[in-house]
Amino acid sequence: MSQNLYQPVNGEIVDIIDESPTIKSFVVVPEENFRFATGQFVELTLPGEGEAPFTPSSSPAVTEKMEITIMKAGRVTALLHQCEKGQKVGIRGPYGRGYPVDDYVGKEIYIVGGGVGLAPIRSLFLTLVDRIGDFKKVVCRFGARTPADFIYKNTLFGSWQKIDGVNIKLTVDKSDGQWKENVGVVTTILSPNDVDIKNSVAVVCGPPIMMKFATLKLLEFGFPDERIYLSMEKNMSCGLGKCGHCMLGQYYVCKEGPVFTYDQIKRYPNIWA
Amino acid sequence: MSKVKNVFISELKPLLDTIAGQMDVYVPRKVGEHYIFERYNPSAAADVALNNIRVCTPVKEFLFPLRELAAVFPEPLEPKDIKPFAIFGLKDCDVRSIEILDKVFMEKEFEDQFYIRRREKMFIVTSDCSNPAQSCFCNVMGGHPYAQSGFDLNISQISGGFMIEAGSQKGGDFIQKHSQLFTVAGQDQLAERQKNRERTQKQLEQNNADMKFDVPVNTIVENSQDSEVYDQQAATCVECQACTRVCPTCHCFYLYDSVQKDYFVKMKMWDSCMRLAYARVAGGENPRKVLGDRLRHRFMHKLSYFLDRYGIDMCVGCGRCVDAEAGDVDIRTVLKKLYEELQAKGKKKTEAVR
Repeated sequence: MSQNLYQPVNGEIVDIIDESPTIKSFVVVPEENFRFATGQFVELTLPGEGEAPFTPSSSPAVTEKMEITIMKAGRVTALLHQCEKGQKVGIRGPYGRGYPVDDYVGKEIYIVGGGVGLAPIRSLFLTLVDRIGDFKKVVCRFGARTPADFIYKNTLFGSWQKIDGVNIKLTVDKSDGQWKENVGVVTTILSPNDVDIKNSVAVVCGPPIMMKFATLKLLEFGFPDERIYLSMEKNMSCGLGKCGHCMLGQYYVCKEGPVFTYDQIKRYPNIWA
Repeated sequence: MSKVKNVFISELKPLLDTIAGQMDVYVPRKVGEHYIFERYNPSAAADVALNNIRVCTPVKEFLFPLRELAAVFPEPLEPKDIKPFAIFGLKDCDVRSIEILDKVFMEKEFEDQFYIRRREKMFIVTSDCSNPAQSCFCNVMGGHPYAQSGFDLNISQISGGFMIEAGSQKGGDFIQKHSQLFTVAGQDQLAERQKNRERTQKQLEQNNADMKFDVPVNTIVENSQDSEVYDQQAATCVECQACTRVCPTCHCFYLYDSVQKDYFVKMKMWDSCMRLAYARVAGGENPRKVLGDRLRHRFMHKLSYFLDRYGIDMCVGCGRCVDAEAGDVDIRTVLKKLYEELQAKGKKKTEAVR
């Protein structure tokens, strides 16, 4: 292993999946087996161009390759979207703390996700499903702008819905005319009766505005602050708790996060920005 | 000469030449009213004068350069050993800033080998301050106008020459190995040094008499989360970022990738939390769009978060930011205003100094 903290492991993009008009999943094979815990993130380098943090969307049980779902949002992600199979990349990490899945054993897990926020959630979902008997149930409430904007359509509209112990409801902000399920923001499909709040944990991941209102709704339902798990994506750069870019109050999101409980971060200003 | 901690030398040149015979030496040179470091050239130097205060640039540039290579593609970059080097004329605030940087870059499991390799090869020669600048406020931040630890050799000017003290094994070995340069320091010389130090300490305390706080600095800052002082004080900030560049403890950096002739590189460069886009994410959100919020974050990080994490303040009171800033934002004024506000709020906490 390299003694250089900043040196990525070389890797290659072996497949690219179009998920939505603005989102693609990249299947990356690192030269060395790469282990991560669900919810941890990696720094993906496009050599010569730049580096950006992403939480892998694949199961941590798969170590010879990983999937990274990326929305075209800034300079580096736009360049990644132009890449083709065979592109060489660099991967550093994994960094930070992911979802404390072992703490969820015996509980109902209430997952609220939106847009590209389904990427880390997919990794968590696959991890939970691998040992579904350990949890009372997994309740998912996912939203997207339009039906076309949902990612992982094949599994989300299909096989995931049929898993015992899993309950999924979907909503879109705007219907395409064919959409049979709910229309409205994700908070419109949240109900205090979805889970037994006394024995549940909530997991929220999505665009900042969605995370804010979903969290407020969960608090209104009576979820305690310390059982709402938020994936706080900031502009993690070094991943080592040094460079400072991702600081959220006293925390380095790259080191103590990206998964925090609401209780940990609620006292800081502008957490949703 | 057996192991002696304090010795005397009448002039500095023989000492410098001896060190320069073993490694590169950087010495202070006066430019205008400030000092900078430059490479010592034994043949050009008649003698080197001691700097009465800190050099205006931060010592971090020797350990964590403004810009350095961090990674290479496709062949990886491994940290290399470097040659030993000496810095002459560092001050207590400088060695305390090194202690702070060590916490960050030598943190267990996150060791930055580029930093560590330089740190291990650095020979630190400190000297006592003789005439603190108006901007110096190290006494408020627990510092002194003379180093008490963290040096290999320390120099104190006294009548007729200089007292040299060994502060480490390396320094002690140096004195022993080159004992022909020195005489053993006498009690009267030690007493003179003590008298000088007390005089300078008193001068500092007088200069900063308006910064006598009856609560720890972190208590002042921790109670300022909702304070308007930051917005008011940041009103004249021109975002020159000089405060963070010259700060010897600020260590934020930026990683960027670029193309060389036939390979790719990842570079590491100093950054500043006072910069607008510093915390912005790809989607465009920015938790600290407003200057006052960035100033607040800088204070919180330096004087509260860092203390919580590493048990030490991230400010040594060197006052470089006061000298450098272009927009009249003075760390001392901000602290004083926050303290006044805290007193007015009657929220004074009487908890013991941490």
